[in-house]
Amino acid sequence: MRVFKWIYGILLVLLIVFPFYWVTISSFKVPDQILQPDLWPKAWTLQHYRELLFDTPYLLNLKNSLIVSFGTMIVTVMIVVPASYAIYRMEFKGRNFFYKLILATYIFPAMLLLVPVYQLMSKVGLVDSLWSLIIMNVTFGAPFATWLMSGFFKAIPKTLDESAAIDGAGTMRILFQIILPLIAPGLATIAVYAFVVSWTEFTFASILITSDEYKVLPIGLSQIMGQYTVKWGWTTAGAVLTLLPVLIFFAFAGRYFVKGLTEGSVK
Amino acid sequence: MKKSLTSLIAFMMLLSLILAGCGSSNEGASSEEGQSEEGGVTEITLWHMEEPPNRVKRFNEVIEAFNESNPDVQVKAQVQSWDDAYSKFPAAIQAGNGPDLLFAIPDYTTLLKQLDVVQPVDDIVEKLNEKHGFIDASLAPYQYEGETWAVPVFGMVQALWYRKDLFEAEGLEAPTTWDELLHAAEVLTKDGQHGIALPASKSMATDQVLYSFMVAAGAKDLIDADNNVTFNTAETVKAYDMYQQLLEYSPRDSNTYQWGEPQAQFNSGRAAMAVEKGQYLAPFESESGQPASELGVVPMPVADGGEAGSIYYSNGIMVLTDDAKKQEAITEFFDYLYEPENYAQFVNAEPGLFLPVTQSGFDSEDYWNDPIIAQYEEQVQVLLEASENGALFGFTDGVASNIGKVAGPNFIAQTLEQVIINGMSPEEAVEWGQQQMEEATK
Repeated sequence: MRVFKWIYGILLVLLIVFPFYWVTISSFKVPDQILQPDLWPKAWTLQHYRELLFDTPYLLNLKNSLIVSFGTMIVTVMIVVPASYAIYRMEFKGRNFFYKLILATYIFPAMLLLVPVYQLMSKVGLVDSLWSLIIMNVTFGAPFATWLMSGFFKAIPKTLDESAAIDGAGTMRILFQIILPLIAPGLATIAVYAFVVSWTEFTFASILITSDEYKVLPIGLSQIMGQYTVKWGWTTAGAVLTLLPVLIFFAFAGRYFVKGLTEGSVK
Repeated sequence: MKKSLTSLIAFMMLLSLILAGCGSSNEGASSEEGQSEEGGVTEITLWHMEEPPNRVKRFNEVIEAFNESNPDVQVKAQVQSWDDAYSKFPAAIQAGNGPDLLFAIPDYTTLLKQLDVVQPVDDIVEKLNEKHGFIDASLAPYQYEGETWAVPVFGMVQALWYRKDLFEAEGLEAPTTWDELLHAAEVLTKDGQHGIALPASKSMATDQVLYSFMVAAGAKDLIDADNNVTFNTAETVKAYDMYQQLLEYSPRDSNTYQWGEPQAQFNSGRAAMAVEKGQYLAPFESESGQPASELGVVPMPVADGGEAGSIYYSNGIMVLTDDAKKQEAITEFFDYLYEPENYAQFVNAEPGLFLPVTQSGFDSEDYWNDPIIAQYEEQVQVLLEASENGALFGFTDGVASNIGKVAGPNFIAQTLEQVIINGMSPEEAVEWGQQQMEEATK
């Protein structure tokens, strides 16, 4: 039985890791080997990375993606924390309605909203601005993040708030000094979630941005792939370099994310 | 705790300020775009959909050179995606955020024309034609309703690419007929190698390759000038039947293939043939490890009773602005672009894939001196020869104004899916395709 567990585990890891391995290893193959199904390069090269960094707008796209992702992350946290506090800790009329309304936002597929969102952004002069992407990412990410926070708030006994209130603390002080430190894993969870969602968002990024100088990585990579023909070296090198920031981010905040998902909302 | 909280808030405020800075610079850029003139300079926005960085770079070089030699005009190129052409562009144009110049292919022009923003370009074309001589096949799909709706800028044609090394190993000659093509595909399919790699997904790639087979079968007239669909013919069935047979010798995952996958199979030596355009030239040596001389190309093999030919279409540039000052600037830009030395540089943004559409372009030494064109001169000559028999669905029997409604949903490829996924016979599938096209073009 133990053997089967090991075999199953190894197969699962291979299934998940192999595509990443294949892309990574291909990015180091010389051009005439990149299309060959060799598991290990016969010769190594950094040519594709050099070309990607110096012959394509990859670095510009990277800068834009970092601005949008960190921007989305910050705005999401700033909105979700007070929103969750209000919904999960405060009593007011229509609280349940607002809670359900947040989840109801998921009934709208993003594709249906493309044209109205474009027209709206155009009217407020935000087409071709990184702010439009931050706004859209927050719009689609914040409801789920708010729902994600429910477990964290429910895990903190309400008597803590009451004790603090008896000691004279106001609502904001309770939130920032009592609750916030206790939901740190939750903050990390929604921060990572917001970052990853905006890092990979394609649809609105392709619609709302027209200038090359504001294009983000998913769009840049799709352009690098090319129409009619695919530049496999640039594509694989681009995929590896695009994964790196997410991996680095996960290395720092990933354990909170996993902890948050397992201890927070699922509880 | 208080200290760390304060630090966190300070950090967030700092980042917000940085972001605010980015935002305001963006807004500045956006607001400038709407201005047609600033300090006596006429600004022209051009959207093109040639996304690969090498094409963007070359286009920008030509445009920057024009801007430098014409300080009163500034053409600003912005790269877009064909994927957005049918959803984003109309919304952008109607919201007043569209470009002044927009790249197009013939069927896309018919769609966009319905927005009443496409300006006739007869004066520009007439002047350029006198000086540089447009190839008829490149101009014709843009001329209907008594006007010309785009200026052709480069052409593309499909042909049969084959690996000479693999053919020689089997003692085969390049196929010129469908019987020879089928025989070669069969013989070359062995030991993990495939005779041919064909796209069979619901995509424009499949539409185009299948249409080349339709042309070669004698079924190029898919819809007429009155938008009557004439898809369901014995010749069309013959083309689908042939495609189905060839898919037996194409990799098993062909139903997911678009543009890149057949080329990857071809260059890696896992497929001996492919039907595509001139994008096969540039990466062949580096990706296959074979010398350029091993890249074979012949015009599309012809079916019994069919006709020589394959898909050919020109990409054009539509003028969307009705501002007289801008139109004047645009005329200056076209005058500059079609001068042979500038045009050669522009067209060779993707050597071999983009073919000249003017006689002066064909005759230009600058065109033939491009390193890739010079290296593959023999293959380029075959492509130019194939262009003479080129055809494009919707533009062979007059101009069908509703062809965009057939091309957009990929009905040609969808018909193939009925054969390979739903198990219909080619006859049933073509009948199904006819019904779908009729419904769409009502």
